[in-house]
Amino acid sequence: MTTHALKSAAAPEAERPAALRRGPGPLARAVDTTLGRGLIQAAAVAVFFAAWEIAVDAGWLTEFLVGAPSGIWRVFRASLMDGSLAVDTWYTLVEAILGFVIGTALGSLAGLGLWYSVLVARVVEPFIVAINSVPKIALAPIVILWFGTGFVSKVALAVSLTALVALIAAYQAARDADPDLQALMASMGATKNRIFRSVIVPSTLPAIIGMFRINIGFALVGAVVGEFISSQRGLGHLIYNASSLYDLNTVWVGLFVLMFVGFVLYHVIDVVERRILPWRQVSTAGGIQV
Amino acid sequence: MDPTPTPDSSADPKTAPVQLALRGIRKSFQAKAGPVPVLDGLSFDIHERDFVSIIGPSGCGKTTVFNVIAGLLEPDAGTMLFRGRPVPGLRGRVGYMMQKDLLFPWRTVLQNVMLGLEMKGTDPREATDTARRYLAQFGLGGFENAYPKTLSGGMRQRAALIRTLIMDPDILLLDEPFSALDYQTRLYLEGVLLDAVERFGKTVVLVTHDIDEAVALSKRVVVLGGRPSRVKNVHAIELGDRSPIGARSDPRFSEYFHTLCGELDIQTRAGSASTARAEAA
Repeated sequence: MTTHALKSAAAPEAERPAALRRGPGPLARAVDTTLGRGLIQAAAVAVFFAAWEIAVDAGWLTEFLVGAPSGIWRVFRASLMDGSLAVDTWYTLVEAILGFVIGTALGSLAGLGLWYSVLVARVVEPFIVAINSVPKIALAPIVILWFGTGFVSKVALAVSLTALVALIAAYQAARDADPDLQALMASMGATKNRIFRSVIVPSTLPAIIGMFRINIGFALVGAVVGEFISSQRGLGHLIYNASSLYDLNTVWVGLFVLMFVGFVLYHVIDVVERRILPWRQVSTAGGIQV
Repeated sequence: MDPTPTPDSSADPKTAPVQLALRGIRKSFQAKAGPVPVLDGLSFDIHERDFVSIIGPSGCGKTTVFNVIAGLLEPDAGTMLFRGRPVPGLRGRVGYMMQKDLLFPWRTVLQNVMLGLEMKGTDPREATDTARRYLAQFGLGGFENAYPKTLSGGMRQRAALIRTLIMDPDILLLDEPFSALDYQTRLYLEGVLLDAVERFGKTVVLVTHDIDEAVALSKRVVVLGGRPSRVKNVHAIELGDRSPIGARSDPRFSEYFHTLCGELDIQTRAGSASTARAEAA
Protein backbone atom coordinates (compact mmCIF):
# COMPACT_ATOMS: atom_id res chain seq x y z
CA MET A 1 0.00 0.00 0.00
CA THR A 2 2.90 2.34 0.68
CA THR A 3 4.27 1.63 -2.76
CA HIS A 4 1.10 3.09 -4.16
CA ALA A 5 1.42 6.30 -2.21
CA LEU A 6 5.10 6.57 -3.01
CA LYS A 7 4.52 6.01 -6.68
CA SER A 8 1.93 8.73 -7.03
CA ALA A 9 4.06 11.12 -4.98
CA ALA A 10 7.15 10.37 -7.02
CA ALA A 11 5.45 10.61 -10.38
CA PRO A 12 5.64 14.39 -10.91
CA GLU A 13 9.31 14.33 -9.90
CA ALA A 14 10.07 11.70 -12.54
CA GLU A 15 8.27 13.64 -15.23
CA ARG A 16 10.39 16.69 -14.64
CA PRO A 17 13.21 17.08 -17.17
CA ALA A 18 16.57 16.01 -15.76
CA ALA A 19 18.02 19.49 -16.15
CA LEU A 20 15.50 20.88 -13.67
CA ARG A 21 16.20 18.33 -10.96
CA ARG A 22 18.05 19.95 -8.12
CA GLY A 23 21.23 18.82 -6.41
CA PRO A 24 24.18 16.70 -7.43
CA GLY A 25 23.79 13.71 -9.71
CA PRO A 26 24.05 10.10 -8.52
CA LEU A 27 27.77 9.78 -9.27
CA ALA A 28 28.70 12.94 -7.34
CA ARG A 29 26.61 11.76 -4.42
CA ALA A 30 28.25 8.32 -4.35
CA VAL A 31 31.77 9.77 -4.41
CA ASP A 32 31.08 12.59 -1.91
CA THR A 33 32.19 10.71 1.20
CA THR A 34 35.30 11.22 3.32
CA LEU A 35 36.95 8.24 1.63
CA GLY A 36 35.81 9.24 -1.86
CA ARG A 37 37.05 12.79 -1.55
CA GLY A 38 40.31 11.58 0.02
CA LEU A 39 40.95 9.23 -2.89
CA ILE A 40 40.37 11.99 -5.43
CA GLN A 41 42.70 14.31 -3.56
CA ALA A 42 45.41 11.64 -3.23
CA ALA A 43 45.09 10.86 -6.94
CA ALA A 44 45.49 14.54 -7.82
CA VAL A 45 48.68 14.77 -5.75
CA ALA A 46 50.05 11.54 -7.26
CA VAL A 47 49.33 12.74 -10.82
CA PHE A 48 51.00 16.08 -10.11
CA PHE A 49 54.23 14.54 -8.80
CA ALA A 50 54.28 11.84 -11.45
CA ALA A 51 53.93 14.44 -14.22
CA TRP A 52 56.69 16.50 -12.62
CA GLU A 53 59.04 13.49 -12.38
CA ILE A 54 58.30 12.40 -15.95
CA ALA A 55 58.86 15.94 -17.24
CA VAL A 56 62.26 16.10 -15.54
CA ASP A 57 63.23 12.60 -16.73
CA ALA A 58 62.24 13.42 -20.30
CA GLY A 59 64.26 16.62 -20.15
CA TRP A 60 61.30 18.95 -20.62
CA LEU A 61 62.21 20.58 -17.28
CA THR A 62 65.74 21.14 -15.89
CA GLU A 63 66.17 19.56 -12.49
CA PHE A 64 68.71 22.30 -11.68
CA LEU A 65 65.93 24.96 -11.81
CA VAL A 66 62.81 23.14 -10.61
CA GLY A 67 64.06 20.13 -8.67
CA ALA A 68 62.45 16.72 -8.99
CA PRO A 69 60.16 14.70 -6.73
CA SER A 70 62.70 11.87 -6.46
CA GLY A 71 65.38 14.34 -5.38
CA ILE A 72 63.02 16.05 -2.94
CA TRP A 73 62.24 12.67 -1.41
CA ARG A 74 65.96 11.87 -1.04
CA VAL A 75 66.68 15.18 0.69
CA PHE A 76 63.59 14.76 2.86
CA ARG A 77 64.65 11.30 4.02
CA ALA A 78 68.25 12.31 4.65
CA SER A 79 67.34 15.45 6.63
CA LEU A 80 64.74 13.48 8.54
CA MET A 81 67.34 10.81 9.42
CA ASP A 82 70.04 13.21 10.61
CA GLY A 83 67.44 15.15 12.62
CA SER A 84 68.23 18.52 11.05
CA LEU A 85 64.74 18.84 9.50
CA ALA A 86 63.08 18.26 12.86
CA VAL A 87 65.27 20.91 14.49
CA ASP A 88 64.54 23.47 11.76
CA THR A 89 60.80 22.72 11.85
CA TRP A 90 60.77 22.92 15.63
CA TYR A 91 62.45 26.36 15.60
CA THR A 92 60.05 27.84 13.06
CA LEU A 93 57.05 26.24 14.71
CA VAL A 94 57.91 27.55 18.17
CA GLU A 95 58.68 31.03 16.84
CA ALA A 96 55.42 31.16 14.92
CA ILE A 97 53.29 29.78 17.75
CA LEU A 98 54.85 32.08 20.35
CA GLY A 99 54.46 35.05 18.03
CA PHE A 100 50.88 34.08 17.29
CA VAL A 101 49.92 33.60 20.93
CA ILE A 102 51.59 36.77 22.21
CA GLY A 103 50.53 38.98 19.29
CA THR A 104 46.98 37.69 19.12
CA ALA A 105 46.47 37.85 22.87
CA LEU A 106 47.86 41.38 23.20
CA GLY A 107 45.95 42.62 20.18
CA SER A 108 42.66 40.99 21.12
CA LEU A 109 42.79 42.27 24.68
CA ALA A 110 43.62 45.79 23.55
CA GLY A 111 40.90 45.70 20.88
CA LEU A 112 38.27 44.46 23.31
CA GLY A 113 39.48 46.96 25.90
CA LEU A 114 38.75 49.81 23.50
CA TRP A 115 35.06 48.91 23.87
CA TYR A 116 35.18 50.40 27.37
CA SER A 117 35.87 53.93 26.22
CA VAL A 118 34.45 55.46 23.07
CA LEU A 119 36.67 58.49 23.65
CA VAL A 120 39.91 56.50 23.82
CA ALA A 121 38.85 54.43 20.82
CA ARG A 122 38.18 57.52 18.74
CA VAL A 123 41.46 59.16 19.74
CA VAL A 124 43.48 56.03 19.02
CA GLU A 125 41.79 55.01 15.78
CA PRO A 126 43.80 57.09 13.27
CA PHE A 127 47.06 55.94 14.86
CA ILE A 128 46.04 52.33 14.52
CA VAL A 129 45.10 52.85 10.89
CA ALA A 130 48.41 54.63 10.22
CA ILE A 131 50.54 51.95 11.90
CA ASN A 132 48.56 49.22 10.21
CA SER A 133 49.16 50.73 6.79
CA VAL A 134 52.92 50.19 7.13
CA PRO A 135 53.87 46.83 5.62
CA LYS A 136 55.08 45.13 8.79
CA ILE A 137 57.72 43.21 6.90
CA ALA A 138 59.48 46.55 6.39
CA LEU A 139 60.07 46.54 10.14
CA ALA A 140 62.12 43.35 9.93
CA PRO A 141 65.56 45.03 9.75
CA ILE A 142 64.79 47.17 12.81
CA VAL A 143 63.41 44.22 14.71
CA ILE A 144 66.63 42.32 14.01
CA LEU A 145 68.65 45.32 15.20
CA TRP A 146 66.66 45.55 18.40
CA PHE A 147 66.18 41.91 19.24
CA GLY A 148 69.27 40.34 17.72
CA THR A 149 69.65 37.57 15.21
CA GLY A 150 68.36 34.80 17.46
CA PHE A 151 65.06 33.32 18.34
CA VAL A 152 63.56 36.44 20.01
CA SER A 153 63.68 38.62 16.89
CA LYS A 154 61.59 36.08 14.93
CA VAL A 155 58.99 35.96 17.67
CA ALA A 156 58.98 39.76 17.80
CA LEU A 157 58.44 39.97 14.05
CA ALA A 158 55.56 37.50 14.24
CA VAL A 159 54.08 39.54 17.10
CA SER A 160 54.32 42.75 15.07
CA LEU A 161 52.50 41.07 12.18
CA THR A 162 49.70 39.57 14.25
CA ALA A 163 49.02 42.09 17.02
CA LEU A 164 47.42 44.83 14.93
CA VAL A 165 45.35 42.39 12.91
CA ALA A 166 44.02 41.01 16.19
CA LEU A 167 43.44 44.47 17.63
CA ILE A 168 41.44 45.69 14.65
CA ALA A 169 39.39 42.49 14.39
CA ALA A 170 38.59 42.44 18.11
CA TYR A 171 37.73 46.13 18.26
CA GLN A 172 35.45 45.96 15.25
CA ALA A 173 33.69 42.90 16.58
CA ALA A 174 33.21 44.53 19.98
CA ARG A 175 31.82 47.65 18.35
CA ASP A 176 29.38 45.55 16.33
CA ALA A 177 28.08 43.64 19.36
CA ASP A 178 24.28 43.84 19.43
CA PRO A 179 23.32 47.06 21.29
CA ASP A 180 19.93 45.58 22.15
CA LEU A 181 21.53 42.73 24.09
CA GLN A 182 23.56 45.32 25.97
CA ALA A 183 20.41 47.36 26.66
CA LEU A 184 18.69 44.23 27.92
CA MET A 185 21.54 43.58 30.33
CA ALA A 186 21.54 47.21 31.43
CA SER A 187 17.80 47.08 32.11
CA MET A 188 18.49 44.12 34.38
CA GLY A 189 20.92 46.31 36.28
CA ALA A 190 24.12 44.82 34.86
CA THR A 191 27.41 46.67 35.38
CA LYS A 192 29.67 47.52 32.47
CA ASN A 193 32.04 44.70 33.44
CA ARG A 194 29.16 42.28 33.52
CA ILE A 195 28.03 43.37 30.05
CA PHE A 196 31.60 42.98 28.85
CA ARG A 197 31.81 39.43 30.15
CA SER A 198 28.30 38.30 29.24
CA VAL A 199 27.74 40.04 25.90
CA ILE A 200 30.89 41.53 24.41
CA VAL A 201 33.29 38.64 24.89
CA PRO A 202 30.98 35.85 23.69
CA SER A 203 29.63 37.83 20.76
CA THR A 204 33.13 38.72 19.52
CA LEU A 205 34.48 35.17 19.81
CA PRO A 206 33.43 34.05 16.32
CA ALA A 207 35.22 37.01 14.72
CA ILE A 208 38.24 36.57 16.97
CA ILE A 209 38.57 32.89 16.14
CA GLY A 210 38.12 33.71 12.46
CA MET A 211 41.04 36.11 12.85
CA PHE A 212 43.12 33.29 14.39
CA ARG A 213 43.18 31.64 10.97
CA ILE A 214 44.59 34.76 9.34
CA ASN A 215 47.07 35.29 12.14
CA ILE A 216 48.44 31.74 11.99
CA GLY A 217 49.52 32.56 8.44
CA PHE A 218 50.97 35.92 9.46
CA ALA A 219 52.88 34.40 12.36
CA LEU A 220 54.51 31.92 9.97
CA VAL A 221 55.37 34.78 7.61
CA GLY A 222 57.00 36.65 10.49
CA ALA A 223 59.06 33.65 11.58
CA VAL A 224 60.20 32.74 8.06
CA VAL A 225 61.05 36.28 6.96
CA GLY A 226 62.98 36.78 10.20
CA GLU A 227 64.93 33.63 9.39
CA PHE A 228 65.57 34.82 5.83
CA ILE A 229 67.25 37.94 7.12
CA SER A 230 69.54 36.32 9.63
CA SER A 231 69.47 33.04 11.41
CA GLN A 232 71.23 29.77 12.10
CA ARG A 233 68.14 27.57 12.26
CA GLY A 234 64.61 27.24 11.03
CA LEU A 235 62.74 26.41 7.82
CA GLY A 236 63.26 29.96 6.53
CA HIS A 237 66.99 29.51 7.06
CA LEU A 238 66.86 26.14 5.30
CA ILE A 239 65.01 27.57 2.29
CA TYR A 240 67.14 30.70 2.01
CA ASN A 241 70.45 28.85 2.28
CA ALA A 242 69.45 26.13 -0.15
CA SER A 243 68.18 28.58 -2.75
CA SER A 244 71.43 30.56 -2.65
CA LEU A 245 73.18 27.24 -3.40
CA TYR A 246 70.68 26.41 -6.19
CA ASP A 247 69.69 23.33 -4.20
CA LEU A 248 66.07 23.34 -5.37
CA ASN A 249 65.19 19.97 -3.88
CA THR A 250 66.04 21.23 -0.38
CA VAL A 251 64.05 24.42 -1.01
CA TRP A 252 61.03 22.29 -1.86
CA VAL A 253 61.45 20.23 1.28
CA GLY A 254 61.35 23.43 3.34
CA LEU A 255 58.31 24.71 1.46
CA PHE A 256 56.36 21.48 1.75
CA VAL A 257 57.09 21.20 5.46
CA LEU A 258 55.96 24.82 5.91
CA MET A 259 52.80 24.03 4.00
CA PHE A 260 52.22 21.04 6.24
CA VAL A 261 52.81 23.07 9.40
CA GLY A 262 50.36 25.77 8.29
CA PHE A 263 47.81 23.14 7.32
CA VAL A 264 48.02 21.42 10.71
CA LEU A 265 47.80 24.69 12.64
CA TYR A 266 44.76 25.73 10.60
CA HIS A 267 43.02 22.52 11.54
CA VAL A 268 43.97 22.90 15.18
CA ILE A 269 42.02 26.16 15.07
CA ASP A 270 39.05 24.36 13.54
CA VAL A 271 39.06 22.00 16.49
CA VAL A 272 39.38 24.89 18.94
CA GLU A 273 36.52 26.67 17.23
CA ARG A 274 34.24 23.68 17.48
CA ARG A 275 35.05 23.35 21.17
CA ILE A 276 34.60 27.02 22.02
CA LEU A 277 31.61 27.78 19.80
CA PRO A 278 29.29 24.79 19.97
CA TRP A 279 26.34 27.09 19.32
CA ARG A 280 27.73 27.98 15.91
CA GLN A 281 27.60 24.37 14.82
CA VAL A 282 23.86 23.92 15.24
CA SER A 283 21.54 24.75 12.43
CA THR A 284 17.99 24.03 11.42
CA ALA A 285 18.98 24.18 7.77
CA GLY A 286 19.84 20.47 7.79
CA GLY A 287 22.21 19.52 5.01
CA ILE A 288 22.26 22.94 3.37
CA GLN A 289 25.82 24.20 3.44
CA VAL A 290 26.39 27.87 2.98
CA MET B 1 11.58 43.69 48.07
CA ASP B 2 8.99 41.34 46.62
CA PRO B 3 5.55 42.93 46.66
CA THR B 4 3.72 39.54 46.46
CA PRO B 5 0.22 40.90 46.01
CA THR B 6 -2.67 38.54 46.65
CA PRO B 7 -3.67 36.88 43.39
CA ASP B 8 -6.91 38.73 42.86
CA SER B 9 -7.56 39.10 39.16
CA SER B 10 -10.52 41.45 39.58
CA ALA B 11 -8.46 44.30 41.10
CA ASP B 12 -9.84 47.49 39.65
CA PRO B 13 -7.07 49.45 38.00
CA LYS B 14 -8.78 52.72 38.78
CA THR B 15 -8.80 52.14 42.51
CA ALA B 16 -5.50 50.27 42.73
CA PRO B 17 -2.69 52.43 44.14
CA VAL B 18 -0.33 54.09 41.72
CA GLN B 19 2.82 52.07 41.21
CA LEU B 20 4.69 54.25 38.80
CA ALA B 21 3.93 57.88 38.04
CA LEU B 22 5.51 59.80 35.20
CA ARG B 23 5.42 63.55 35.70
CA GLY B 24 6.33 66.02 32.98
CA ILE B 25 8.87 63.79 31.22
CA ARG B 26 10.71 65.69 28.51
CA LYS B 27 13.32 64.34 26.20
CA SER B 28 14.99 65.60 23.07
CA PHE B 29 17.67 64.09 20.89
CA GLN B 30 20.64 65.86 19.35
CA ALA B 31 20.50 66.05 15.59
CA LYS B 32 22.78 67.94 13.23
CA ALA B 33 20.28 70.77 12.91
CA GLY B 34 19.94 71.04 16.70
CA PRO B 35 17.94 69.30 19.39
CA VAL B 36 14.77 67.52 18.25
CA PRO B 37 12.19 67.35 21.03
CA VAL B 38 10.51 63.97 21.22
CA LEU B 39 8.62 63.89 24.50
CA ASP B 40 6.95 67.10 25.56
CA GLY B 41 6.07 66.81 29.23
CA LEU B 42 4.57 63.35 29.40
CA SER B 43 2.52 62.53 32.51
CA PHE B 44 0.55 59.41 33.28
CA ASP B 45 0.10 56.84 36.02
CA ILE B 46 0.58 53.12 36.05
CA HIS B 47 -1.31 51.34 38.79
CA GLU B 48 -0.34 48.26 40.74
CA ARG B 49 -1.04 45.22 38.57
CA ASP B 50 -2.11 47.41 35.71
CA PHE B 51 -1.86 46.48 32.05
CA VAL B 52 -1.17 49.71 30.22
CA SER B 53 -0.58 49.97 26.50
CA ILE B 54 1.12 53.00 25.04
CA ILE B 55 0.07 53.59 21.45
CA GLY B 56 0.72 56.38 19.04
CA PRO B 57 1.68 57.09 15.46
CA SER B 58 5.10 55.83 14.41
CA GLY B 59 7.92 58.09 15.44
CA CYS B 60 5.98 59.46 18.39
CA GLY B 61 8.57 58.35 20.89
CA LYS B 62 6.95 55.18 22.21
CA THR B 63 10.29 53.45 22.46
CA THR B 64 11.80 56.53 24.08
CA VAL B 65 9.18 56.33 26.85
CA PHE B 66 10.02 52.68 27.19
CA ASN B 67 13.73 53.40 27.53
CA VAL B 68 13.11 56.19 30.02
CA ILE B 69 11.04 53.88 32.22
CA ALA B 70 13.68 51.15 31.91
CA GLY B 71 16.30 53.63 33.06
CA LEU B 72 18.27 53.28 29.83
CA LEU B 73 17.67 56.92 28.85
CA GLU B 74 17.76 59.87 31.18
CA PRO B 75 14.92 62.35 30.63
CA ASP B 76 15.88 66.00 30.19
CA ALA B 77 13.21 67.05 32.65
CA GLY B 78 10.46 65.51 34.73
CA THR B 79 10.34 62.93 37.46
CA MET B 80 9.31 59.34 37.91
CA LEU B 81 7.80 58.22 41.17
CA PHE B 82 7.92 54.53 42.01
CA ARG B 83 5.42 53.82 44.79
CA GLY B 84 5.59 57.47 45.73
CA ARG B 85 9.38 57.77 45.81
CA PRO B 86 11.29 59.56 43.08
CA VAL B 87 13.53 57.19 41.12
CA PRO B 88 15.96 57.88 38.25
CA GLY B 89 14.74 54.82 36.35
CA LEU B 90 13.84 51.26 37.01
CA ARG B 91 17.09 49.51 36.12
CA GLY B 92 17.15 46.11 37.74
CA ARG B 93 13.44 46.23 38.55
CA VAL B 94 11.98 45.80 35.09
CA GLY B 95 11.63 42.86 32.80
CA TYR B 96 12.35 43.92 29.26
CA MET B 97 11.05 42.29 26.10
CA MET B 98 11.36 43.47 22.55
CA GLN B 99 10.27 42.43 19.11
CA LYS B 100 13.61 40.70 18.77
CA ASP B 101 13.73 37.85 21.25
CA LEU B 102 17.19 38.98 22.41
CA LEU B 103 18.14 35.46 23.40
CA PHE B 104 21.89 35.02 23.60
CA PRO B 105 22.77 32.69 20.71
CA TRP B 106 25.72 31.24 22.60
CA ARG B 107 23.58 30.21 25.55
CA THR B 108 21.25 27.25 25.62
CA VAL B 109 17.58 27.86 26.37
CA LEU B 110 18.18 26.95 30.00
CA GLN B 111 21.18 29.26 30.30
CA ASN B 112 19.24 32.08 28.63
CA VAL B 113 16.34 31.72 31.01
CA MET B 114 18.74 31.69 33.97
CA LEU B 115 20.40 34.96 32.98
CA GLY B 116 18.49 37.14 35.41
CA LEU B 117 18.93 34.74 38.30
CA GLU B 118 22.64 34.54 37.57
CA MET B 119 22.88 38.30 37.78
CA LYS B 120 21.04 38.36 41.07
CA GLY B 121 23.64 35.94 42.38
CA THR B 122 21.18 33.12 42.97
CA ASP B 123 22.81 29.82 43.89
CA PRO B 124 23.42 28.08 40.53
CA ARG B 125 21.75 24.84 41.55
CA GLU B 126 18.69 26.65 42.79
CA ALA B 127 18.63 28.83 39.66
CA THR B 128 18.80 25.72 37.46
CA ASP B 129 15.92 24.10 39.32
CA THR B 130 13.78 27.23 39.07
CA ALA B 131 14.58 27.62 35.37
CA ARG B 132 13.69 24.00 34.65
CA ARG B 133 10.42 24.38 36.51
CA TYR B 134 9.50 27.50 34.53
CA LEU B 135 10.43 25.90 31.22
CA ALA B 136 8.28 22.87 31.98
CA GLN B 137 5.42 25.10 33.09
CA PHE B 138 5.50 27.07 29.83
CA GLY B 139 5.76 24.03 27.61
CA LEU B 140 9.46 24.30 26.81
CA GLY B 141 10.43 21.23 28.84
CA GLY B 142 12.81 19.09 26.79
CA PHE B 143 14.36 22.13 25.09
CA GLU B 144 16.66 23.04 27.99
CA ASN B 145 19.84 22.25 26.09
CA ALA B 146 18.73 23.50 22.69
CA TYR B 147 20.30 26.63 21.27
CA PRO B 148 17.87 29.43 20.35
CA LYS B 149 18.78 29.08 16.67
CA THR B 150 17.06 25.70 16.55
CA LEU B 151 13.74 26.97 17.94
CA SER B 152 10.80 28.52 16.10
CA GLY B 153 10.11 32.24 16.50
CA GLY B 154 7.20 31.57 18.82
CA MET B 155 9.26 29.27 21.05
CA ARG B 156 12.06 31.79 21.18
CA GLN B 157 9.71 34.54 22.23
CA ARG B 158 8.23 32.21 24.85
CA ALA B 159 11.73 31.59 26.20
CA ALA B 160 12.25 35.37 26.28
CA LEU B 161 9.01 35.73 28.24
CA ILE B 162 10.15 33.09 30.74
CA ARG B 163 13.48 34.86 31.12
CA THR B 164 11.56 38.06 31.88
CA LEU B 165 9.14 36.49 34.36
CA ILE B 166 11.71 34.39 36.23
CA MET B 167 13.51 37.52 37.44
CA ASP B 168 10.32 38.52 39.22
CA PRO B 169 10.49 42.14 38.05
CA ASP B 170 8.17 44.82 39.44
CA ILE B 171 7.08 45.88 35.98
CA LEU B 172 7.16 44.08 32.65
CA LEU B 173 8.16 46.41 29.84
CA LEU B 174 7.16 45.03 26.47
CA ASP B 175 8.07 46.75 23.22
CA GLU B 176 5.98 45.15 20.47
CA PRO B 177 7.02 41.73 21.71
CA PHE B 178 4.83 39.72 19.35
CA SER B 179 4.79 41.83 16.23
CA ALA B 180 7.29 39.65 14.36
CA LEU B 181 5.20 36.52 14.85
CA ASP B 182 2.43 35.07 12.74
CA TYR B 183 -1.10 35.79 13.91
CA GLN B 184 -1.80 32.35 15.38
CA THR B 185 1.41 32.22 17.40
CA ARG B 186 0.73 35.73 18.50
CA LEU B 187 -2.75 34.99 19.83
CA TYR B 188 -1.31 32.00 21.63
CA LEU B 189 1.51 33.99 23.22
CA GLU B 190 -0.86 36.80 24.17
CA GLY B 191 -2.81 34.16 26.09
CA VAL B 192 0.37 32.87 27.74
CA LEU B 193 1.31 36.42 28.69
CA LEU B 194 -2.11 37.25 30.15
CA ASP B 195 -2.16 34.03 32.19
CA ALA B 196 1.33 34.61 33.50
CA VAL B 197 0.62 38.23 34.38
CA GLU B 198 -2.50 37.20 36.29
CA ARG B 199 -0.77 34.33 38.04
CA PHE B 200 2.28 36.30 39.12
CA GLY B 201 0.38 39.53 39.72
CA LYS B 202 2.61 41.67 37.48
CA THR B 203 2.24 45.15 36.14
CA VAL B 204 2.70 45.40 32.38
CA VAL B 205 3.57 48.34 30.18
CA LEU B 206 3.15 47.43 26.52
CA VAL B 207 4.43 49.69 23.81
CA THR B 208 2.80 48.89 20.50
CA HIS B 209 1.58 50.31 17.24
CA ASP B 210 -1.00 47.57 17.04
CA ILE B 211 -4.37 48.88 18.22
CA ASP B 212 -5.91 45.44 17.96
CA GLU B 213 -3.38 44.04 20.41
CA ALA B 214 -3.62 47.05 22.72
CA VAL B 215 -7.40 46.75 23.05
CA ALA B 216 -7.36 42.97 23.47
CA LEU B 217 -4.73 42.91 26.21
CA SER B 218 -4.93 46.18 28.12
CA LYS B 219 -6.80 47.47 31.09
CA ARG B 220 -5.89 50.98 30.01
CA VAL B 221 -4.54 52.50 26.82
CA VAL B 222 -2.44 55.66 26.81
CA VAL B 223 -2.60 57.43 23.44
CA LEU B 224 0.35 59.62 22.52
CA GLY B 225 0.10 62.22 19.83
CA GLY B 226 1.60 65.39 18.44
CA ARG B 227 5.16 66.26 17.68
CA PRO B 228 6.80 66.38 20.19
CA SER B 229 4.36 64.01 21.74
CA ARG B 230 2.14 64.39 24.74
CA VAL B 231 -0.50 62.20 26.29
CA LYS B 232 -3.53 62.75 24.10
CA ASN B 233 -5.93 60.58 26.03
CA VAL B 234 -6.14 57.64 28.41
CA HIS B 235 -8.85 55.05 27.80
CA ALA B 236 -10.02 52.44 30.27
CA ILE B 237 -10.80 49.24 28.39
CA GLU B 238 -13.57 47.18 29.93
CA LEU B 239 -14.09 43.88 28.23
CA GLY B 240 -15.80 40.90 29.83
CA ASP B 241 -13.45 38.19 28.64
CA ARG B 242 -9.70 38.85 28.75
CA SER B 243 -8.55 35.88 26.70
CA PRO B 244 -7.07 36.99 23.35
CA ILE B 245 -9.95 35.52 21.34
CA GLY B 246 -12.65 36.28 23.89
CA ALA B 247 -11.63 39.92 24.06
CA ARG B 248 -11.68 40.24 20.30
CA SER B 249 -15.17 38.69 20.20
CA ASP B 250 -16.60 41.13 22.73
CA PRO B 251 -19.10 43.51 21.08
CA ARG B 252 -17.34 46.46 22.74
CA PHE B 253 -14.03 45.47 21.16
CA SER B 254 -14.67 47.08 17.79
CA GLU B 255 -16.07 50.16 19.50
CA TYR B 256 -12.79 50.65 21.39
CA PHE B 257 -10.87 49.76 18.28
CA HIS B 258 -12.60 52.44 16.19
CA THR B 259 -12.32 55.03 18.94
CA LEU B 260 -8.58 54.49 19.18
CA CYS B 261 -8.15 54.47 15.41
CA GLY B 262 -10.04 57.75 15.37
CA GLU B 263 -7.65 59.18 17.95
CA LEU B 264 -4.73 58.18 15.81
CA ASP B 265 -6.45 59.66 12.75
CA ILE B 266 -6.61 56.29 11.06
CA GLN B 267 -9.41 55.99 8.52
CA THR B 268 -11.10 52.81 9.78
CA ARG B 269 -13.91 52.55 7.26
CA ALA B 270 -11.62 52.40 4.27
CA GLY B 271 -10.93 48.73 4.97
CA SER B 272 -7.35 48.93 6.15
CA ALA B 273 -5.62 45.64 6.82
CA SER B 274 -5.80 46.00 10.57
CA THR B 275 -9.54 46.72 10.48
CA ALA B 276 -10.18 43.67 8.39
CA ARG B 277 -8.15 41.60 10.78
CA ALA B 278 -9.97 42.98 13.81
CA GLU B 279 -13.30 42.18 12.28
CA ALA B 280 -12.21 38.72 11.22
CA ALA B 281 -11.27 38.02 14.82
